[in-house]
Amino acid sequence: MAYHLSIFVENKPGKLENITKILSEKNINIYGIYVASAGEFGVVKILTNNLEKAYQTLKQEGFTVSKRKVTIVLLPDKPGEMHKLLTILSSNNINLEDCYGFVLEAKAQAAIVLEAEKYPLIEDVLHSKGYKLLPAEKLEEL
Amino acid sequence: MYWEENIETAEASELKKLQLRLLNQTIKQAKKSPFYQNFNLNEVGSLEEFQEKVPFTRKQDLRDQFPYGFLTTDLEKSVRLHSSSGTTGNPTVVFHTKKDIQEWTNQVARCMYMIGMRKGDVFQNTMGYGLFTGGLGFHYGAEALGALTIPIGPGNSKRQIWFMETFGSSVVHILPSYALRLYSHFEELKLDPKSLKLKIFIIGSEPHSEEMRQQIEQLFGVKAYNSYGLSEVCGPGVGFECQHQCGIHIWEDYYLVEIIDPQTGKVLPDGEEGELVLTTLKREAMPLLRYRTGDLTRATSNKCACGRSHIRIDRIKGRADDMLIINGVNLFPIQIEKTIMGIPGVGKNYLIEIKKENYMDKLYIKVEVDKEIFEGTLAGLTQLQNRITEELRSEITVSPIVQLSEPGSLPVWEGKAKRVNDLRDK
Repeated sequence: MAYHLSIFVENKPGKLENITKILSEKNINIYGIYVASAGEFGVVKILTNNLEKAYQTLKQEGFTVSKRKVTIVLLPDKPGEMHKLLTILSSNNINLEDCYGFVLEAKAQAAIVLEAEKYPLIEDVLHSKGYKLLPAEKLEEL
Repeated sequence: MYWEENIETAEASELKKLQLRLLNQTIKQAKKSPFYQNFNLNEVGSLEEFQEKVPFTRKQDLRDQFPYGFLTTDLEKSVRLHSSSGTTGNPTVVFHTKKDIQEWTNQVARCMYMIGMRKGDVFQNTMGYGLFTGGLGFHYGAEALGALTIPIGPGNSKRQIWFMETFGSSVVHILPSYALRLYSHFEELKLDPKSLKLKIFIIGSEPHSEEMRQQIEQLFGVKAYNSYGLSEVCGPGVGFECQHQCGIHIWEDYYLVEIIDPQTGKVLPDGEEGELVLTTLKREAMPLLRYRTGDLTRATSNKCACGRSHIRIDRIKGRADDMLIINGVNLFPIQIEKTIMGIPGVGKNYLIEIKKENYMDKLYIKVEVDKEIFEGTLAGLTQLQNRITEELRSEITVSPIVQLSEPGSLPVWEGKAKRVNDLRDK
């Protein structure tokens, strides 16, 4: 189990930049960023190496921000792995709120960030299938 | 419990007798002004006769008669002048004799006493001093009551909070829109207003909904009372809610209250909604007869649980001039506020914009979200947006375009909030 941040933003030029500027000034590393838009507004999901610092900083700067539970799965970086993972989730009737990924080592290992309503079922299922999950404390030292 | 028990709890029949006597004095006084000289005004035998024979006075009359047309006394007898901003033509100017100021002060003190303010309270007046009546009117009333009065005036939120904290302000006179903004400064300072000595907020000067009052009461841990007044007849103190918060008592020993149909001018019975019309009963320098306030409300003469017999009016629904017409449908901005402020997830500020698109009026409502209860999903936000749209549609029968905004992103105002931005060509 880990957390990423969810931030409410209006869909206007410069809004994302405001967030990345603040994080860069605080020397916070971004692993992954994902934008879900509903036209005039949206939410930005950000996975960082320092959840608490990022959360407190953005809150102090007046952002509308909250922490969301995510499951981070480690996969081999090769064709078919993502499909295999999604098949397991769908066959267990697990719906995804958000899904994005990043490569840890090219051709070797990738991390997929999953936000699902059915928590902790998603983690039980993935454990039982032999997947390795990335715990929150590991995020500090990727 | 009462500032002036005899008059505040007088029987209705006694009040009527008093009003008739004061009314005839007022007519006599009014006839000395250049404006009322033009009318054939005579003593009346009943309030009904007064309504039949005396025409309305309108704001436009005050503008047309600028500056001295309503003055009944020599200018030397006047000790004070207040004025509106006059952004739309001549300003309206109001003169006060020494006695007018004393009577005005008494009305404000009576209102403050009614809501539980006493000698020993610390009163912080955040309203503007100067030509605007909200500052000086309350200042004099609070001093007459014997409260320690802080004439801080508007703005500089950090200093406002510092005074509240340092001197233990217990009663604050504040614009409702500013109260909500001030709360965000408390949040920034990580200071809970409930930990201070705040007890009573007096809110007024701009129309606001019951929902907004409740929000202010909850955020600050105070009782918030609605104050009503208009500078044309003196300023604040014309009427106030009592501790039962069930309507605004208008002091009938100072004003004759009528509710009329704004279209036909017909006097309406108790309980029907229309325009508030006031006749001053004690004003010396500038008495006004049947003055059309433009404020829409309802009145009831039923005795209040507080024991006062003076007539009560509903929270002002809006000014007749504030009414918006969107594709032929009439609505008031306060209806929009009342609806959105009642929905969880809505923040502290909003803005109404009306545009013309393809020959149709489009109503845009920009609403700040409440960052404290944001749970982080897009679905939650679209649900909030849909709920606001649906509830507004059912309240105002116009389909608005609701836009969610980040907290703190909408404009704030130093004085009265200007929440309606009509961008249609006039």
